[in-house]
Amino acid sequence: MHSLVQPNEWVVLRLPSDTLKVLQIVPNTIVSLGKYGTFSSNLVLERPYNLTYELLDREAGQKDSGLRIVPASELHADTIAEENAAANPVNDDKVVIGGDGVEFELVAENGEVIMRSNRETIDDSARQTLTMEEIETLKQEGTGAGKDLIAKLMLSHTALDQKTTFSLAKYKLLKTKKYLRRFTILPMDVPMLTYWMMEEKDAAKIFEMRDEMLALVGCWANVHYSVAPNPEASETGGRWLMVDETGGLLVAAMAERMGILYPPQDAPRSLYPTEAQEKEEQALQTSAHSPDGFRTSLASTNTLTLLHNNAQPNLSLLKYFNFAVDTPNPTHPLTAHLHTLSWLQLISPELDTTYSTPPVSHTPEELLAMKSGKRGTYYRKHRRWARTKSIVDSTRNGSFSGLVVASAMDPVSILRHTIPLLAGGAPISIYSPTIEPLTALADFYSTSRRTAFIQAPPAGFEELSSGEKEQWQGDEDFPLNPTLVLGASIQTSRVRNWQVLPGRTHPEMTGRGGAEGYLFTGIKVLPAEGKVEARGKYRKKKAENEDKTATIKTEENGAGPEAKKRRIDADLAEVKAERDTRMEDVSQ
Amino acid sequence: MASKLSPFLHAGPVATDDNLSIIHLKRDLQTPTILRSYDKDDEGYSEGKVVNTRFGSFPHKTLIGLPWGSQVRASRVDTGSRGRRQEKKKKRKSDEAGLDASKEEAGDTPKEEKETVTASSGFIHLLPPTPENWTSSLPHRTQVVYTPDYSYILHRIRARPGTNIIEAGAGSGSFTHASARAVYSGLPSTEGGELSVSASKRRKLGKVWSFEFHEQRHEKLVKEIQDHGLEGVVQITHRDVCEDGFLVNEESPKADAIFLDLPAPWLALPHLSRSGPPAKEEKEDAESNGMDSSKGKPFVSPLNPTVPVHLCTFSPCIEQVQRTVSVMRHLGWTDISMVEVAQKRIEVRRERVGIDNGQQRGIQATPANVDEALARLKEVEGNFQTFHGQEPTGETTKPKKVKREQNPNNRETIMESLVERKVYKEGRLVHKTEPDVKTHTSYLVFAILPVQWTAEDEEKVRAKWAIKVRKTGDQEVDGEVVGVSRRQQKKAARQAMKDNAAAKKEASLSAPPSEDENKDLIADLEKTLEV
Repeated sequence: MHSLVQPNEWVVLRLPSDTLKVLQIVPNTIVSLGKYGTFSSNLVLERPYNLTYELLDREAGQKDSGLRIVPASELHADTIAEENAAANPVNDDKVVIGGDGVEFELVAENGEVIMRSNRETIDDSARQTLTMEEIETLKQEGTGAGKDLIAKLMLSHTALDQKTTFSLAKYKLLKTKKYLRRFTILPMDVPMLTYWMMEEKDAAKIFEMRDEMLALVGCWANVHYSVAPNPEASETGGRWLMVDETGGLLVAAMAERMGILYPPQDAPRSLYPTEAQEKEEQALQTSAHSPDGFRTSLASTNTLTLLHNNAQPNLSLLKYFNFAVDTPNPTHPLTAHLHTLSWLQLISPELDTTYSTPPVSHTPEELLAMKSGKRGTYYRKHRRWARTKSIVDSTRNGSFSGLVVASAMDPVSILRHTIPLLAGGAPISIYSPTIEPLTALADFYSTSRRTAFIQAPPAGFEELSSGEKEQWQGDEDFPLNPTLVLGASIQTSRVRNWQVLPGRTHPEMTGRGGAEGYLFTGIKVLPAEGKVEARGKYRKKKAENEDKTATIKTEENGAGPEAKKRRIDADLAEVKAERDTRMEDVSQ
Repeated sequence: MASKLSPFLHAGPVATDDNLSIIHLKRDLQTPTILRSYDKDDEGYSEGKVVNTRFGSFPHKTLIGLPWGSQVRASRVDTGSRGRRQEKKKKRKSDEAGLDASKEEAGDTPKEEKETVTASSGFIHLLPPTPENWTSSLPHRTQVVYTPDYSYILHRIRARPGTNIIEAGAGSGSFTHASARAVYSGLPSTEGGELSVSASKRRKLGKVWSFEFHEQRHEKLVKEIQDHGLEGVVQITHRDVCEDGFLVNEESPKADAIFLDLPAPWLALPHLSRSGPPAKEEKEDAESNGMDSSKGKPFVSPLNPTVPVHLCTFSPCIEQVQRTVSVMRHLGWTDISMVEVAQKRIEVRRERVGIDNGQQRGIQATPANVDEALARLKEVEGNFQTFHGQEPTGETTKPKKVKREQNPNNRETIMESLVERKVYKEGRLVHKTEPDVKTHTSYLVFAILPVQWTAEDEEKVRAKWAIKVRKTGDQEVDGEVVGVSRRQQKKAARQAMKDNAAAKKEASLSAPPSEDENKDLIADLEKTLEV
């Protein structure tokens, strides 16, 4: 996907201190790395990603540095040398730290250094004999990409010989992070964006959604590339419904899973004539025509439909993927595949001006008489209206393949309006930084509540048609229809980072606190018409009576006291099973 | 021949014949079933093919054509007498062994099929297969890679539509299914239609290149992938990759991402190189003419030469990790990192505590609060005094008569408590981790192998993008300086102030300021800056 750095593409530069720098590589500009120096952007353009560069010493009379690619062997030289040293212990007192040409000879007074312990180390930072001024001068000289400085620093440390190998390595790493003038160029993709938002930008803005949770959300919602293989049977394609208040991170993640996040630029363009490209785009986008004949160029499958709570969706993070909602680039796949509509447009479209007032139509003669600017506005208005109408109508028609939510709103209110829009078997995946909204939601789908609902449905519920039952808005006892969601459960996942170094492998000492992040999952189901009886362990005893029961039922039309008793028996089995297995999702 | 669409990728609106579906009994109890309108194995049910569960029997005819997610009632299926009938049939079959057997199979069964009758109880839900519910219901052959692990791995190794992914050690196939869904971006056209040809050409088609060295597991996986209609997305090879590498029919899979679930991933790593495994003795030879000296054939890299390759290895033991990482460092992999994933499932329930309500199910019969405890103690104290003929001191509550004769577990009580008392709303809503936790699955090692970049490549690009360097004397001429964040600007400003102040101070006091004074000064300056 990301092979070479393209002009004007957003990239991430990782500095030795592990700080990230997000910027756009604009040709013919200068990139500044703060204290590390500056270099020409043309030095990284159309070069591969994931390479590590070193800022070369500035030539006399030049303000900017050149770059040198640091080979992997050099990056790992320290560790490999350490490994080798551990594998072949030598008894001479030469300890080599790092393989980058900087060697340190450490001789103890008695001329013998075998194994140091930290018994004699003095816990004092003031063991560095170089003064701040001296360090500053060295920095300004800035030779050897900071390696000289690090070497001098280490040699001027009075207690270097007292350090254990471990603390020595740590000390060097510390200094390396501070002074080494290197950076690695990384592509801006969803995992990187998530990491950057979490670590450096604004974790709260993305609800502290870590990579592992983001990945889980997408998997449990079964989001994947799903274009209808033949346009006639359009229902085989996938359409996902979303509520995203993370500024577009979740949209980006789902779009990445569906293959609609990155413009098709990775393949060499000359191979693929634009004509064929257009033709296929057209085939993909079963061109939705508005009644007026304005093409909306909306895709009908492999789409994301985003519900937003403001008049305009907040998708600011999509700018890192070169997509802006206000000025969509026609070649960007999200333009056709990302449909946005507000809650107002979903719930009461007649109140939304854009939807409910079609622009005035003009005859071709009138149009010809118009000034070109006015004509442009006319077409734009019509296109906008056609787009809105098409999105609102298709969304309200429902049959979505799944629901993905990351929102500060109460999930109950979201589900009340979105569950009727889901197709049977569609997965539901709701992320929340805190667990309370999700436990409340899971409680509304608890087995005992469902049993009570089936036993004594709310007044008037039984008379509704099955479609109306889905639309039912809930009451105090049953805020949501508990029979429409199967397998409601909550999970969380956390990744623990480890340091793997020769002889020093352990989990990282510090990590990030904050919101743990939880995921609610469930499946939209279609309950069978009429009463359905469960069968459980309890039932086995009565198996011999089953035929009899059936007869009684038919005779009494399920209304007599006997039948009622039977029904209760079955429900009892269900409740018992719940206790036995301690599962909140015992459907039997 | 039109290739079948996999229900994993295109489930469609309804369950269809010959496709996999998941029979959902309850959570953690799901049965995968391939729906068949004809009973090819001739199991002797008069309803045709039947799936039997602990919640009843479900003839496939009652499932095919239903919308996904449907709740389905069990049917009354005679499971008892079929054994006898089958025997009879077998006998008859052996009599007519010479006759047209295929005709019998195809024509006989449906004739005998009878209408299904709905049973009085029992139901299931019919669900479309997904890698998630397949993972929780698949037949275990080896340790399974579960959803929290595979979702994170696929995310990290950038498995997206169009990716070519190598999976070595397919095992039970859970990762195979998940990665097939992740990389799927359409099927190669076999119809020869012009439109579809151009479509497949333009879009890079993702594929899973799966390797399994265990023969039986390999066979089972091949069958499974065919049954699931994934053969267009998954290519399975029976191979020990540590020995024989990753080429399929001498051709490179051109992998963008790699997942190794092997006991010794470090043995496979040398094959995953851009320029051939580093031969030990014949090093010069291998390097000078790019030959794999052992076979005498030019080395073909299994990797995509144009993208950075992402790799993940999955090993349960830390020793495996250390060895793998060490080999990775020698082979030029970068960004090596190791993590483990810990997932927890949360149980949500209502916790009811109290002695006030008499005997009930699902209630912890201890006092809910101090008042309740106190009332109870007073009651006991009162009883004690009455028993000994004393006049009870203090106000005592009358001992409550609890209806002991009512069994809290009988159906009326339960239903009453549910419907009338609404116990589902009572108590405190609590959550805790489910009793069984997978505390360790495996260690995941991630690494990246960047694209090889030669001096010629660099030269070409340099010719295209001339390097602009500012000379010391210049004002800002060649474009603005990008990449100075606001934070950095602030920092620079601070530094400038610091320098100025230091210079001033130096001018006023001829001696340089001591370290401490300097610190104070900086602190002051920082304060002013923040204001």
